[in-house]
Amino acid sequence: MQRRTILKGGAALAALGAMPRMAVAQENTITFGGSVPMTGKAAETGMNVLRGYECAAKFINEEMGGVEIGGTTYKVALNLFDDASDPARASSLIQRQVDEGVGFFLGSFGSAIVLPTCAITETAGRIMVQAGGGSDQIFTQGRKRVFGIFPRATRQFVSSVNMFKELDPAVKTVSIIYTNDPFSKFQADGAVASLAEAGIEVLDSIALPAEVSDVSNVLTTIRANTPDVLVCTTHDNTSILIARQMISSQTNVPMLYQTLGPQTEAYHKALGKYANTVVAQTYWDEAANTSGDYFGSAADFATYYRANFDRELTYHMASGAVCILSYLEAAKAAGTLDLDPVRDALAALDFKSFYGQVRFTEDGDGDPSLLGPMLIQRQEGTMKIISPKANASAEPIYPAPLWEERT
Amino acid sequence: MNRFVILLLTAVAALLVAMLPILLGPYYIRVLQTFFFFAGLGVAWNILGGYAGYWSFGHTVSIGIGAFTAAWLGLIFGAGSGPWSMILPVIAGALLSGLFALVIAYPLLRLRGTYFAIAMLGVSQVVAELVNNVSIFQGGIGVFLPSPVPSGMPVERFYYYIFAVVLSLLLLISWWVKRSRFGYALLAIREDEDTAMMLGVPTERYKMAAFVLSAVMVGLLGAIYGYSLGYFTTYSVFRLDWSLNMIVFCLIGGIGTLMGPVIGAALILFLTQVLLGGFLDLHLMITGALVVAVILVMPGGILRTRWRLPGRMPAREGAE
Amino acid sequence: MTLFLQTTLNGLMLGGIYALAAVGFSLIFGVIGIVNLTHGVFVIAGAYLALLFYTELGLDPLLSMLPVGALLFAVGWIYQRTIIDWAISRASVEASLVVTFGMAMILRNLLQLWFGPDVQTITPFYSFFSVSVGPFRVDMVRLVALGSSMVLLLGLTLLLARTHFGRAMRAVAQQPLAAALSGLNVKRIHAMTFGVSAALAGASGAIIGIVQPFSAASEVAWTLNAFMVVVLGGVGSPAGALVGGLLLGLINSYTAQYFGPALTQAAMFLVLVLMLLLRPTGLLGNPYGESR
Repeated sequence: MQRRTILKGGAALAALGAMPRMAVAQENTITFGGSVPMTGKAAETGMNVLRGYECAAKFINEEMGGVEIGGTTYKVALNLFDDASDPARASSLIQRQVDEGVGFFLGSFGSAIVLPTCAITETAGRIMVQAGGGSDQIFTQGRKRVFGIFPRATRQFVSSVNMFKELDPAVKTVSIIYTNDPFSKFQADGAVASLAEAGIEVLDSIALPAEVSDVSNVLTTIRANTPDVLVCTTHDNTSILIARQMISSQTNVPMLYQTLGPQTEAYHKALGKYANTVVAQTYWDEAANTSGDYFGSAADFATYYRANFDRELTYHMASGAVCILSYLEAAKAAGTLDLDPVRDALAALDFKSFYGQVRFTEDGDGDPSLLGPMLIQRQEGTMKIISPKANASAEPIYPAPLWEERT
Repeated sequence: MNRFVILLLTAVAALLVAMLPILLGPYYIRVLQTFFFFAGLGVAWNILGGYAGYWSFGHTVSIGIGAFTAAWLGLIFGAGSGPWSMILPVIAGALLSGLFALVIAYPLLRLRGTYFAIAMLGVSQVVAELVNNVSIFQGGIGVFLPSPVPSGMPVERFYYYIFAVVLSLLLLISWWVKRSRFGYALLAIREDEDTAMMLGVPTERYKMAAFVLSAVMVGLLGAIYGYSLGYFTTYSVFRLDWSLNMIVFCLIGGIGTLMGPVIGAALILFLTQVLLGGFLDLHLMITGALVVAVILVMPGGILRTRWRLPGRMPAREGAE
Repeated sequence: MTLFLQTTLNGLMLGGIYALAAVGFSLIFGVIGIVNLTHGVFVIAGAYLALLFYTELGLDPLLSMLPVGALLFAVGWIYQRTIIDWAISRASVEASLVVTFGMAMILRNLLQLWFGPDVQTITPFYSFFSVSVGPFRVDMVRLVALGSSMVLLLGLTLLLARTHFGRAMRAVAQQPLAAALSGLNVKRIHAMTFGVSAALAGASGAIIGIVQPFSAASEVAWTLNAFMVVVLGGVGSPAGALVGGLLLGLINSYTAQYFGPALTQAAMFLVLVLMLLLRPTGLLGNPYGESR
């Protein structure tokens, strides 16, 4: 009998504690809702995006004292939860926030999570600005209230192909290694399409499983059929593995291009001098000559971020922060926080920031000519931007020296 | 409990379930929808695992097969919206699940105990890998399902009712199985398969029947779940953690009992979604801790532990 | 032909690592009779510990295998004496599967909280070299990994064959009741077995850390690999683990080369299921008695 009463009492107490928090109307705060993967498969980048959101919020509240919209000054508040990289969980959390009346949503990371959650916010008439999903389907299904900082996946390789065309000697052949997941495969498909348009031949297109421990067999194929450029649209850990095994098996290609991986310190530490001349993609770099209101220049953002946060700076922080900036600029232009005017202002947005010029296409994804990726290459230890020429800080090193010749 | 009380309780429960969506906000409706789904999974697993004693560690394969079959049919036959367009793909999903189970049943059911459990785990992993990496299945990049929700009806309410109805159906089937000759045969198989075989119980046939039935139920749930997601990739539906969750629901609630999986699902869901929804990193750990605690403290599950209540008959001697 | 031989070579290298990573799992299955789903966590914990030793103390993973093994021995011992013992005595064998899985979830989460979700590697100076013999090439790290695995497996074999403890373990595996009646402290033997298993898992983790990137989430893969090795090669003996590991490595390698790397996991599982149907005791069988 005793056990039962305790259990019942405990359940009652717990139920009380679990009641949804009433949206406490704080004076003059703009609340951004959303979920981010803080644990699980996507946590590594999820945490980066989260820091970006936090950085923007902190800067606006502390350095700027808030933003003025329609005559009132507002502070920024974040109401973000861990979705554990699970789309079902993210859906529940977003739904809860929709019920609580949240109007402005920030995106999670990973198309598999962004897709179902943006469907929920769209149906409820709320707005989502995200820097976590590039899958075409987010933007091609007639949604009007979903905006993405990145261009859609199939357009993300255009800037890279442009660079290939400018290289000397010209790039004739490319091989692609990718992972079978929505992000990587879409990028690879986009790459194949863009390359075909430019008349560059794709020698091999190789799919890897998500958990890969040994690519020696793949590299044997590459050695037998060597392309001018080896493109890997893989995630960080796979990129490191490929690079390391290329080095130890002496697999040389004139250019090794890995979309994710080379930007991180972990990669640099793991490979040391061999990390030089590896090309990567980034959507933002602290050495870029972009600037605008709020943070100032790209370098200023980097300085502020490093002064306040521990996690190593990657472009995800910048793209996360600019989501919030976009919302605020749109609200300022609309003069109100009401959903419809802000939505229209977002669609018409065109402003300069530390991240670059922010403008969305009619479908809501980032304008590929403005917000597409830049190409970076590590030269003598530091990352230099090699393309597009307008932003470049160095000439590309091509063809790269052999592994054994690297200094 | 006498028949009248049971009937009354069921009627009350049905009424409650029907009325709740009007009273609760969409978030809670979603939680209940998930509860019905999980409870259904538990009930389905219980038929093979609880009644027949064959613990499968790979039941999620049926969820995946059900969901993807529904999606492919949707792709082939084009988008037809409205709830009736759901019926054919969902039934196809359930049937294909059952068919797959039938095909693998003959070789796999010759294994016992741990070996069967691990073999099923292997099967679920193989199918998941194939769906993910063979491009014709589109598992890697994901598939879409058009929304069957009738316009004007809130999405979560639609699935709430569907899952509620399906759960009731599954419970009915489970109840019927338990009381039938089939069910007694399964009990015999669980307790001592060799003796049962010697005594003339057609163990092979009944085992296969249980396996296929369980798979059909899970496939049905999986197909509907796929619809509720709208877009999913391989690993959104071929979920290893759900294979284990199904077992956990039954373990906690009372393995081999009728309502055990339902109670177990309710408890776990309450803990992870409602109580700990705000706790950032800890829900996986708490679920794990709960699993361990339950095994150590109540190895039979809630419904099979002999609660000492004054004035009550001791629980019927079910085998441990 | 060269391609085939190179692929075979790659497979054997990989196989050696699989063998070491699985032998502890195999021991527990053989001696205690339970399937330890927490095994992968021990492997990854070993990798993380080796990483700590490397970054904080500059100790090469080959050297830190010793302290890592010792630490995990203690962990394994305590784990068995407390949780596993309670679980087995109170519930069925299948339930112990679920307990070890629950513990794996807890520990995996803890590792993730402590070390973060990021993927890690250990890159000692010899990571970039390779050894070539004629047209064949082998990564230095893999050669080193294989060598260490062989040494440890040999050590284990000697332990089982020559020492009192080894004999006691084999006795308990074959006939627990008779062993107890003969005066062996079965509970202590179980704990020692678990400790040795965890130590070997941890040591293999140190080696794995230098060969490929890892994170807390990788533990599931290593537990599954251990299953497959045991099913392929047989339960309870280092020789079985070696055979199973090498076979698994070869399957992985051939599939990757001739069917594409995306299908390696599928192929490995397929072989697992086939083996379970055709010869569940593995190629070398269970040296300790009838199949369970």
